Amino acid sequence: MTVTSYEKAKIELRDVRKSFGAVNIIHGLDLSIEGGEFVVFVGPSGCGKSTLLRMIAGLEDVTSGDIFIAGRDVTELDPAKRGIAMVFQSYALYPHMSVRENLAFGLEMARTPADEIERQVQAAAQILKIGPLLERRPGQLSGGQRQRVAIGRAIVRKPLAFLFDEPLSNLDAELRVSMRIEIARLHRQLGNTMIYVTHDQTEAMTLADRIVVLRDGHIEQIGTPREVYEDPSNLFVAGFIGSPRMNIVDAVYAGDSRIKVADAVIPLGQVLYGVTAGDGVKLGIRPEHLRVADPGGTALRAKVDFAEYLGSTRYLYCYLPSGEIVTVEQRDGRDFSSGEEIWLHCDPGRLRLFSAGGDRLRAESPAKVASA
Amino acid sequence: MAGSRKSSVRGLFADVRYHGFGIIAGLLFLAPLVWSVLVSFKPSVEARQPPLPPWPVDGFSVQSYDNLAQYGAGIWTYTGNSLMVSAATVVASVIVSLFAGYGFSRFRFPFKNALFVLIISTVMIPFQSILTPLFLILTKLGLQNTLTGIVLVYVTLQLPFSIFMMRNAFDAVPKEIEDAARVDGASVLRVLYRIMLPLVLPGVVTVAIFAFLASWNEFLAALILLTDQKKYTLPVLMAAVRSGQFGTIDWGAVQSGVTLMMAPCLILFLLLQRYYIRGLTAGAVK
Repeated sequence: MTVTSYEKAKIELRDVRKSFGAVNIIHGLDLSIEGGEFVVFVGPSGCGKSTLLRMIAGLEDVTSGDIFIAGRDVTELDPAKRGIAMVFQSYALYPHMSVRENLAFGLEMARTPADEIERQVQAAAQILKIGPLLERRPGQLSGGQRQRVAIGRAIVRKPLAFLFDEPLSNLDAELRVSMRIEIARLHRQLGNTMIYVTHDQTEAMTLADRIVVLRDGHIEQIGTPREVYEDPSNLFVAGFIGSPRMNIVDAVYAGDSRIKVADAVIPLGQVLYGVTAGDGVKLGIRPEHLRVADPGGTALRAKVDFAEYLGSTRYLYCYLPSGEIVTVEQRDGRDFSSGEEIWLHCDPGRLRLFSAGGDRLRAESPAKVASA
Repeated sequence: MAGSRKSSVRGLFADVRYHGFGIIAGLLFLAPLVWSVLVSFKPSVEARQPPLPPWPVDGFSVQSYDNLAQYGAGIWTYTGNSLMVSAATVVASVIVSLFAGYGFSRFRFPFKNALFVLIISTVMIPFQSILTPLFLILTKLGLQNTLTGIVLVYVTLQLPFSIFMMRNAFDAVPKEIEDAARVDGASVLRVLYRIMLPLVLPGVVTVAIFAFLASWNEFLAALILLTDQKKYTLPVLMAAVRSGQFGTIDWGAVQSGVTLMMAPCLILFLLLQRYYIRGLTAGAVK
């Protein structure tokens, strides 16, 4: 299939499963990615995110289910016939070929005329600013330059969709930030569908139109970065997205829209569905939503264990009377010493509650939750 | 000042010791080779006399080479046989081990590891112990006393090491490079030829050198499995030359044969040593 321009291809997975022998890696996933969308698969090591990407690429067989790219069933097709291009974590450049040959290889395989290959190579080199490097071998390039070439190799094929498999993991922190911005710019410039796998949530949050959070081959949540951060659908997503992690502490539903945490009783302001008074719940609160306040009222008593100074912010690691540790992001510049007793206040609207099993408990009517 | 002079003297001493040891070791290795070459250029009569001095006293002569050339069916017949057998062994070993190594490294199939261990374990069987069955098999196949038959035997003996070598060479190539080529639209054979082959070239060279040296120097199988004098290879000829006629041995002819036999090995090794050393150490360190 020859793609003449960058198209915005929709990608659909229908009940896709993958198993290696008796071990199930991907458990019947359904996912629909709109044309031109930038979707990031994120999850801990071994969650199946790379396997899923490789299944979409055709590098891994699908045990059952179907994959559609631009409305075409590609489940049984070779990688090259799916109209995708992939960028690998280790760059995977051909070490014995020059940059120019690396870029041209895919087009040569597609029997593209030589003048057209040259045109495409020059265009990609211009987009990625690798023109002066065309005659060099990958071994003579820096990590960032190699990753540019790897992206260039993907661009020249004018694919229906780009697949990125942790492309920035091998770069140092500074380069990672600049390459991240370049990838975002590239998406804006080309506008085609991109799927990006990472375990780095900063990359996920900054790049994604939508994030797919995976765990053990299941989709835990699909949503915009804001949705998964502010409205996690379960305890796993709440704990996984965000750095430092969301504080999770044990609490008891005290009835009448109140919960008891450590020795404090906090009013929620809304009726909580799915629990009755006396039920144990998990309370989630982000470090930036806790603030050091005056004693008394609904404030939580805590003892500072140690403080991390990061310039604009300071993280306080504190013990609650229950022995649980909470992290507090503090920006007022005040100093705290180890062992100091402080009082923490939080806005009830920022509290996220989860059942003991880890499901989100919402302060809304069940009908409304279902419709959302 | 005195300290720096002392340390420079010590440095000079270390240099002399280092290079002196290297030169002596080099001479020890080179001496027998040079001796053989020098004796091969002595006139026949002088070559039969006590070997000191090792260089020709009565002038250089190619008489020994002439004598060797007229031995049996003529030196060129035997050299041709040896070259043919060695070249065929190299080509067949490289092709078979390339595909087998690629398969063992990259593909999943039932009993893969068991099969690999089985192939490697054949190295433990002494080759001499299977000569009789090999002879019978080749006779059954109508390949006894043919160069094709001897090539098949050499390739079989060479394959366990070659496959092991090539599997390691392919294992050392990151799988993502191959994945990238597949996404780029290359078929399995195209991936092997355009992408993998240049990357496993040191392994290929190592396999080729080993196959060449083994088949070029092999004596026993050639002696037993070849019965027609015209089909003998150089090592068999050399044994005949060395055994002499009526107890007189033409040492000049022996040394000219030795020189002739070692020349291709040395040239090949010197030309390819860079690849060969990389091949042997490939995958040893990241």
